Amino acid sequence: MAFEISFEMLDKGIAKITLAGELDASTAPQFQKEVEKAAQQKARRLVLVVGALEYIASAGLRVLVFAKQKMGSAVDVYVVGAQEQVMETIRKTGLHNSVTTLKAYDAAVIEAL
Amino acid sequence: MEPFVVPARLESLQEIRKHVQTAAAEAGLDKKDVYRLALAVDEVATNIVTHGYAEAGREGTVGVTIGTDQDHLTVALEDSGVAFDPTGIPKPDIEQPIDERKVGGMGIYLAIRGVDGFKYQRVGSTNRNIFIMNRKPPSPEGS
Repeated sequence: MAFEISFEMLDKGIAKITLAGELDASTAPQFQKEVEKAAQQKARRLVLVVGALEYIASAGLRVLVFAKQKMGSAVDVYVVGAQEQVMETIRKTGLHNSVTTLKAYDAAVIEAL
Repeated sequence: MEPFVVPARLESLQEIRKHVQTAAAEAGLDKKDVYRLALAVDEVATNIVTHGYAEAGREGTVGVTIGTDQDHLTVALEDSGVAFDPTGIPKPDIEQPIDERKVGGMGIYLAIRGVDGFKYQRVGSTNRNIFIMNRKPPSPEGS
């Protein structure tokens, strides 16, 4: 499936980025752009909705690392609905220790600051 | 088998993945192994495009040759970019929290860990990256 990405700023400074399709070195720059938007808007939390993300390469992980480093350690990152292989990649690289992973979008948890 | 040759550009990465995924599925690899192999090839192909050619101000192609025997599926990537041996890259510190991580190294780490065997060869002015996946035997009849 072709890569798709969208950005939405929720209340309380929560930035929501929805990713679908394949995130590789050719599409990672689009992800980077959206993360920069979140940083510019001084987001306090970054929520990545990835239920329809079928593939992630290290280029995509790098943007995730960039997001955490750029936005600062006070900003938490949620990864919601990751598919099995995407989750495996996140775990293999140890990044699951630096983000909160959720199986489903639980607004009570995600939108509570 | 004829090599599948594509321009060494980021736009070719998805095509390479699809080619590898198709062959891997046909060879009977399970979903996870298909994914891991495609990821491994993608990571090395990405390095070829960005470091082997683009950063060196060069253009070129990447050749993908896939072969099978009874026990293995082998993917060979060939390019004539800058000499680069992925096996020499240090493992990233995956224990380190994300805030302190140095960027880099994850791609090759995922590539080499995702396949059953990996070899790099420099042949003349060509880099050859070889990925090997074991084919699991089919279950015996009646089970």
